[in-house]
Amino acid sequence: MAAVTSADLEAVDFDLEDDDLMDEDVVAEPLPAAAPASRLRSTIAGDGAPRKTKGRGFREDRDSSSVPRDSRSGDGGRGDLDSLGSGGGPAPIRSIEGWIVLATGVHEEAQEDDLHNAFAEFGQVRNLHLNLDRRTGFVKGYALVEYENFEEAQAAIKELDGTVLHTEIMNVDWAFSSGPAKHRSSQKRYFLLGSRTMSLVGKKEARFQLSIPSFFLR
Amino acid sequence: MATAGGDNGGGAADGEFYLRYYVGHKGKFGHEFLEFEFRPDGKLRYANNSNYKNDTMIRKEVFVSPSVLREARRIIQESDIMKEDDSNWPEPDRIGRQELEIVMGNEHISFTTSKIGSLVDVQSSKDPEGLRIFYYLVQDLKCFVFSLINLHFKIKPIQS
Repeated sequence: MAAVTSADLEAVDFDLEDDDLMDEDVVAEPLPAAAPASRLRSTIAGDGAPRKTKGRGFREDRDSSSVPRDSRSGDGGRGDLDSLGSGGGPAPIRSIEGWIVLATGVHEEAQEDDLHNAFAEFGQVRNLHLNLDRRTGFVKGYALVEYENFEEAQAAIKELDGTVLHTEIMNVDWAFSSGPAKHRSSQKRYFLLGSRTMSLVGKKEARFQLSIPSFFLR
Repeated sequence: MATAGGDNGGGAADGEFYLRYYVGHKGKFGHEFLEFEFRPDGKLRYANNSNYKNDTMIRKEVFVSPSVLREARRIIQESDIMKEDDSNWPEPDRIGRQELEIVMGNEHISFTTSKIGSLVDVQSSKDPEGLRIFYYLVQDLKCFVFSLINLHFKIKPIQS
């Protein structure tokens, strides 16, 4: 957390010098949800309504057989804002060899061929995953399609979203994204502007303003 | 704080969503486990660890779109796992441990049980109905996550 705060402080110092800020009409936005929701105590604020909890996981102590979560999957959460794109909203991202599209609302009796035919209209289908429900053997309800180009995927989404396949309406959208709307550097910018409009002062006060929001990042 | 508002890419239509599944054991080859996590902000994290033949941890993470989160929610909703309880499920043991933690709206479940080898283990437990739902839900979630992770990260073999 300290690292985050000081990073914000540096941003303040830097940005205050920057004349471009004068032009922007941006209002300081609420903080993004950076904190992982993985703590067993259901303390995530939400709308303030108490959360119903259930399960052994709340009752037991962390015994030796269960490694604390953070060290398992590596809590690279806060530092790792590896979002691409030039700070705008979330945008689709390219996967290793193509662009992946998710289709939901797929009819349970749809066949791979049906999907292949529907999607091949927009470009060559490099890969198609049509997973089955493990209990019933029917299609689970979603499909993942890979195209080589952005344009092909974009066209498929545009044309097929909301269309009907086998009497069921299918929704088609991107599968992967660059992340939540707040890109790190533009995030600092918003904070700064908020504090600037609130109190037109020098660095000291802006710095103080910024340290408060960073607590919420927990 | 971690609110469920539209700022999260519009994914949390009816409140917060969080999902984590862990299965693992400790043995000759270290702490071998598989874990994946869908966070409210759309981050999907995957980890697979084993020291078998001196292997190391595999960790992948990627942001998924709100549609993916919605689909995960739907899978969970339709399974009715939120109505179950793990009080009569087998306790984790030497053979292994499974953990399933889900936050959906204002309900937060955190189930822990032993590994399930097959339907035989489900049938012979004290709560076959509930455990069966868990058993199949875990398989469906794994299918979904593995598809996502493999499509995003795995390169295809060279076709000859």
